[in-house]
Amino acid sequence: MAEENIIEVKNLKKAYADNVVLEDISFTVRKSEKVVLIGPSGGGKSTLLRCLNRLEGDYSGNVIFEGEELNSASKDKLRALRQKMGMVFQQFNLFPNKTVLENITFAPVKLRVDTPKQAIEHAHSLLKQVGLSEKADAYPQSLSGGQQQRVAIARALAMNPEVMLFDEPTSALDPEVVGEVLGVMEKLAADGMTMIIVTHEMSFAQNVADKVLFMDKGKIADSGNPKYIFEETKNTRTQSFLSKVM
Amino acid sequence: MFDFLKQYYPVFLEGTAQTILISIIGIVIGILLGLIFVMFRLSKIKALSYIARVYIAIVRGTPAMIQVMLIYYTLSNVLAVPQIQFLGSGLDRVIPGSIALGINSGAYTAEIFRSGIISISKGQTEAGISLGLSERTTMFSIILPQAVRNILPALGNEFISLVKESSVLFYIGVQEVTAQALGVGGTLYNFVPPLIVAAIIYFVLTFVLSQLMQIVERRMGRKYIQSN
Repeated sequence: MAEENIIEVKNLKKAYADNVVLEDISFTVRKSEKVVLIGPSGGGKSTLLRCLNRLEGDYSGNVIFEGEELNSASKDKLRALRQKMGMVFQQFNLFPNKTVLENITFAPVKLRVDTPKQAIEHAHSLLKQVGLSEKADAYPQSLSGGQQQRVAIARALAMNPEVMLFDEPTSALDPEVVGEVLGVMEKLAADGMTMIIVTHEMSFAQNVADKVLFMDKGKIADSGNPKYIFEETKNTRTQSFLSKVM
Repeated sequence: MFDFLKQYYPVFLEGTAQTILISIIGIVIGILLGLIFVMFRLSKIKALSYIARVYIAIVRGTPAMIQVMLIYYTLSNVLAVPQIQFLGSGLDRVIPGSIALGINSGAYTAEIFRSGIISISKGQTEAGISLGLSERTTMFSIILPQAVRNILPALGNEFISLVKESSVLFYIGVQEVTAQALGVGGTLYNFVPPLIVAAIIYFVLTFVLSQLMQIVERRMGRKYIQSN
């Protein structure tokens, strides 16, 4: 067994009343693997990502994270599992009433992952990693979108997660700052982080992904390595989507 | 016109102190009840949410004066507070009376809290939950502090109206400012000057309170500019 599966998604199905938003989704993520979800808006990418840490519940099938079934996990267990899954949102969702440093240290201290002193040291090293050392005492509102998103990445990393979930991390950004966020993510990928990323940045997907899932109408319509998806696939839906966005 | 103050100013001072006392107790109880009932109101447990709705509807839909009298006549039988005199009134009237003020204010405060909580974007809750924080920690450490900041002006209004409405405790014999003014008026056979004094006292109290609220607002607002 060379590499173990860290996440297994089995026959996931989710519907709001009669409206099926996810259907028959199965895939696995190995440790250190980078999985990128692409596809047209409304295709279920973000919903699927949010099912992975149960921000969206009420689905059938199952998500298994490090051998634990999310469906049957108790509230405490679920919280423990979420601590190991960092999440980065499209809208950053930094806490506006806390400084950058407090944003990063709040959860690790509250959840006793770190002592306050360790948490502060850890936060400073994470800020260095995302290139924002000088912003430790700033409030989020005074930062650009790109800077806020980098802080959000640092905040998620502060919990020492096993896997990072990115929900369209650059979609709310001005074009000129997209690069700085993608840069941080590429570095993270190179360091061996397991990552699942919903994105519309196709060249990023091509460079970073080990596996690309093309989602359309709530299903995984096509999947494979970047070379296959971007060059070789015969799937007409994938081809027509890519021809529109690239 | 205000010569009577030379003789009666201690009565007004006592009434003022009584008004301040019952207002503070009322505000504190109102905040606590407001917090409890907003949690009920937003709870996923239907029964709790229903209880909160009923409480808010009843308090909003009935006159404060009747609430105070109902609570006084009910509570004074149940609580059996000793009739110790304090600031000119028996505690057996002051305590049920201020509890009644708090119960009244709690309904409005709960609704104010609710407006504050729903004004905070859902992303804040999701950010907390996704870090592994419990829903409770997320609510009390992340959502509420932001909500309170947004609702300070509305809370200030509620506190000010509570100070003014505390005059209804006159009906159950609490010797607060209004009661004292009416008492003095009765002795003088002239109600207008003492009532003017009472009005000025209420104005000063609410003015000071609104200034205090502004200081709190500025303190909390200085740190960051509201996002979303």
